[in-house]
Amino acid sequence: MSDDALIIYEEEIERIDSLLTKLLKGAEAKCALLVDKDGHLITRQGFTHSLDTTALAALLAGSFASTKEIARLVGETEFSVLFHQGKKDHIHMSIVGERSILAVIFDDRTTIGMVRLYAKETADDLARIFTSMNNRSRHDRPEVTADFAASAGDKLDDIFKD
Amino acid sequence: MVSINYATREVSCKIVYYGPGLSGKTTNLQYVHSKVPAETKGKLISLATDADRTLYFDFLPINIGTINGFATKFQLYTVPGQVYYNATRKLVLRGVDGIVFVADSQPDKMDENIESLNNLKENLLEYGYKLEELPIVIQYNKQDLPGVLSQEKMHAALNPTNWPEYNASATEGFGIFDTLKCILKLVLDRARTGSSPSQPDKPVAQPAAVAASVPQPQAAAPVQPVWTQPQAAPTAPSWQTQPVEPARPAAAAQAPAYQPQPQAPEEAPAYYREAASAPQETSSPAYRPFPGNTVEEEEKMRINHHPIGLYNSGRIPRPGPEVLERQAPPQAQAAAAPGGSAADMPRMAPSLKVDKTHKKRPFWKRLFGIQ
Repeated sequence: MSDDALIIYEEEIERIDSLLTKLLKGAEAKCALLVDKDGHLITRQGFTHSLDTTALAALLAGSFASTKEIARLVGETEFSVLFHQGKKDHIHMSIVGERSILAVIFDDRTTIGMVRLYAKETADDLARIFTSMNNRSRHDRPEVTADFAASAGDKLDDIFKD
Repeated sequence: MVSINYATREVSCKIVYYGPGLSGKTTNLQYVHSKVPAETKGKLISLATDADRTLYFDFLPINIGTINGFATKFQLYTVPGQVYYNATRKLVLRGVDGIVFVADSQPDKMDENIESLNNLKENLLEYGYKLEELPIVIQYNKQDLPGVLSQEKMHAALNPTNWPEYNASATEGFGIFDTLKCILKLVLDRARTGSSPSQPDKPVAQPAAVAASVPQPQAAAPVQPVWTQPQAAPTAPSWQTQPVEPARPAAAAQAPAYQPQPQAPEEAPAYYREAASAPQETSSPAYRPFPGNTVEEEEKMRINHHPIGLYNSGRIPRPGPEVLERQAPPQAQAAAAPGGSAADMPRMAPSLKVDKTHKKRPFWKRLFGIQ
């Protein structure tokens, strides 16, 4: 599974962030999050300070996973777009490539149609970035975590004491 | 799988607490949440029913600070233990990096433990993971209760492959952090980005030493350093020696939601089909195209009634087969191209309306026989 690890570099994040900013400006949405289907947050843009984005990412991924199972039960592969409507804020989620979810939070200053339009465009661009990420050869992945366990040992003992 | 973000310098791992219903997975998380420093933990999120049974998962993010320049985060999940929640239980296992199996030490729960362990194996296989290749720690929970099975008996029943194992009580709180520390170390050691696996000569972690260094509150327990894996094990566990090649299920290659079927050419009218197959079937004495009809009559009818029959009669030259073949509609051709964006677009169902190519003569013309 280590080959399957999600590894993101600065330049990719910069490109992704600029796409998300463009999406937020175009659709006049509040914030956008890019989430791994496993529940890891990849990046976020916009007004996210008041949000617990870690938990949000895990819950969004969980919500998508359960929806996918529902889709399978009705004979679909998966539902590619999910929309939650609230009183003030709404969330639009769409699938990006094979393993990520783009979630856009917006309110009544804009419309679902605008968000949908821009999210679709952005998702296509992001999918292209992810494809190029996947094609990157495994040799240029540096080993950052060589003795992670050894370095973490003391810290873990510190934190987890009865 | 481990997520490594070079931009924010973060490493994120996913650990799942698995086990039968009411074995104490959520209690494990609650204990961890209550004891770790506030700056380390996030909010404990519990998707539970009204009766406090886990419905989907519990989620506790833990940030253990910077290690080797990377902020290291763990996401602890639990699964619902009840048998009938298998669908959601499976979903939580997606992308897991390490598993804590929480077993119930009460004698009458042993069957459930074994069933749950088998279920874990099945669910992991559906994602293409193998139980032997993932870091797993097994926890014998509820050791504070009277009449529970001893560690040796639990080991014999549940742990033939010598995973690291710990006695614990989630309500009293012993053994919880030992379990957690052990799995975190195992996971971190596997969190390598390169393709090379861990060195087999280097022991991944020394949970026995960890367990020995932390005094256990339950002094009565006879065997405290509970990890029984011998140091002189002839072979390292398989996750150390082999790079894990996850065989992704075919479903991972997401097919577009709507796959237009290549449109089969419409069936020719019945009489045409019959006549076309006539030459072969005339050899059979039982063949009778229509009651009372001869083959010659059929042939004449085919020429006179079918537009293509015009060509067969020899009155006009017959075009090549490429013209007569029904062309696939351009929509279907575009969708058939791999990776075409047209395939992702939702499409309307094909119209059932009959194409009216020729107009019927008006009623009064037919009435008076006017052409």
